[in-house]
Amino acid sequence: MSTNTTLAKGAARRRRHDHPLWFLIPALAVLVVFFFVPTLFNFVYAFTDWSSFKSAIGFAGIDNFVSLFSNGTLLNALKVTLVYAVLVAVFQNVFGLALALLLERDTRVNRAVRVAFFIPVVMSALAVGYIFQALLKPDGALNGILGALFGTEMAIPWLGSTTWTIVVVAVIHAWKWMGLSMLIYLAGLKTIGEDVLEAARLDGADRWTMFRAIRFPLLAPAVTFNVATALLGSMNGFDIVQATTEGGPGGTTELLNIFIFRTFGQGLFAQATTMSLVLFLTVTILAFPVIRFLRKREDVL
Amino acid sequence: MKNTFRTALALAAAGVLALTGCSDPGTDADTGGPVDWPAQDTDLTGTVLTIWAAQNSNTVPEGVVAGFEELTGAEVEIVTIPDPYEQGIQTKVATGDKPDLAFWQPTASQLTALNASQNLQPLDDAPWLDAYKPELRDITGILDDTRYAALITTPAVQGVYYNKEVFAANGVTDIPADWDSFVQLARDLKEDGVTPFHEMAADRWGTQWWVQVQLADATADGLWDRVNANEEQFTDPTVQDAIETYQGLIEEGLFNEDIKTATFEDQGAALLDGDAAMVMQVNSFFGQLQSLADTETLDRKIGFFPIAPSGNVGTFVPDQANALVAFKTGDAERESAARQLLSYWLGEGYEDFVNDQSTVSLQSDVETPADVPEALLSVSDSLADSVGSMQALAIANPDLYIYLADMIQGTKTPAEVAEATQSQFAELAKAQGAEGF
Repeated sequence: MSTNTTLAKGAARRRRHDHPLWFLIPALAVLVVFFFVPTLFNFVYAFTDWSSFKSAIGFAGIDNFVSLFSNGTLLNALKVTLVYAVLVAVFQNVFGLALALLLERDTRVNRAVRVAFFIPVVMSALAVGYIFQALLKPDGALNGILGALFGTEMAIPWLGSTTWTIVVVAVIHAWKWMGLSMLIYLAGLKTIGEDVLEAARLDGADRWTMFRAIRFPLLAPAVTFNVATALLGSMNGFDIVQATTEGGPGGTTELLNIFIFRTFGQGLFAQATTMSLVLFLTVTILAFPVIRFLRKREDVL
Repeated sequence: MKNTFRTALALAAAGVLALTGCSDPGTDADTGGPVDWPAQDTDLTGTVLTIWAAQNSNTVPEGVVAGFEELTGAEVEIVTIPDPYEQGIQTKVATGDKPDLAFWQPTASQLTALNASQNLQPLDDAPWLDAYKPELRDITGILDDTRYAALITTPAVQGVYYNKEVFAANGVTDIPADWDSFVQLARDLKEDGVTPFHEMAADRWGTQWWVQVQLADATADGLWDRVNANEEQFTDPTVQDAIETYQGLIEEGLFNEDIKTATFEDQGAALLDGDAAMVMQVNSFFGQLQSLADTETLDRKIGFFPIAPSGNVGTFVPDQANALVAFKTGDAERESAARQLLSYWLGEGYEDFVNDQSTVSLQSDVETPADVPEALLSVSDSLADSVGSMQALAIANPDLYIYLADMIQGTKTPAEVAEATQSQFAELAKAQGAEGF
């Protein structure tokens, strides 16, 4: 062990001598120009009055923040975004885990079915949105199928309820991404040692107990990854909701990104930047506790 | 070593900051004096012009452009900018990307949104202006007394499209002459078991016409000047009452039952099939009807009349396909070629253009082709004594239609619609640096 560390240290020192640090400058310059500066400007422009209406850009202090927070639309959009993110995280993980458990065994059929469930992941999100919008129209295919099954004319506006539409679009989002969650859960299931499962079986655990007491707790790293990516990824959601509802009906699915898009389209670039800063801060504030909590769960093992 | 690295990092950061400074990349304007208008057939061999067009206007220039290329030897590229068109162009122009010409809504609010005085060529002494029918010459395209847009087709008019057969079947012989008789007609039709009006709140954008036509009299009285100066607001009685009247008509049951989920497509089918008697809409609705039926059927079934509180006054709302703007690109030769193309379009090329597009002519000396449907002729006839819409006259164009759709869905009250519209309008006006905000 001790020899190993000395070796490693020696190697590191030698490498440092081989490559002076200023060799980093070209790469660093690229990183600064294409990453740090745009990010920085995302912050800077939030404090200006940049718009499409005039050429000069002036400092505006916290004007944008004051007017955004005094106007209820931003808070409403933020609320909608959070509800959407939580719903997506729940649905996507429930669907993904269920699929992973169903398709766990490596049979030929299962492999084919896994591929089928993974296809939506690589599809264009806008295409998914438009397809579902067509399916869920009052005279769309879903109502047609239901009507044929029950023998009556169906005209349910699936995307027309001011209460339930957000659930429907969250399900669509989860449907698109559930293949990815499935894949990660499958990988997680594969890492569980056969000996642990065998020991449990010898102790007389039934399938449910096995899942509840052994397999699910051992899946904790996969849960961390899936919940965090689903939750934080859907905070940045835009395409699916834009394609299905454009934020309607009655603004009940207006995610922050749709609001930003609308504001940007009005030529209010600084306000749009301010909103994206607010979104960035919200995601950051949410990310740390969520990830810490999920990582804590892993430690229990 | 560590220090060298730190110095390098600091230098790099300082350099980048110095390079990028806080300025709008879209700025490079020079305001020249009066411009010359080259003859329409000046040789332009080797000149390449770019026209930006939207998905629904990109075929409009094809014929004209072909004629121009043949006459002058210029090369003209038509580039389609995907929807949402206006957003796309604003973003491109803000980041310094400009075409020579673009289709653009010739209204005050949209010319402001493009920062016209900085980015667009003034067209004040254009040679074609006297060819316009006198009443259409100055109807739109002008901002702060400078002309920036060239109108090529008749602007849309907000008004009522009605099903002639439904009117006839219910014994309606005269079209209503004012708002009260219009609403009375709807009530009578409802009693006869006909759905009087059709609205499409799922697609949202048509909702605003109902409020705007009610403002026609106030508009003639200077409403939008007062709103632009912040002397009157959307929350004041004029606009507020119009919103409430609209909601009242909906609550009274004068609209289709599926108002919340109906779409633009549904609206066209409903009027054509006689499921509803009337639709408050603009020209693009007629375009939708044309995709569903031929001219002969449309002439038999569909009529148009403008409506306002005091009489049959239309409210015009020019859109992106009606006009073009020429950009200041900084290249004098191409700027001049762009003006030459406009001169040709509205000069020698105009007759072919209206025939090719089967559209109503704006010029006294050019005949409107015979295959233009009757309803469109009524629309164009109503233009002469029409008044401007919110889009045409207000300095900013708030999302009134979204808030009205919210009201129909039940998530906003009429008062909240007016408040949301006013606050967005004030935000936009403030960003423009308008006085009073």
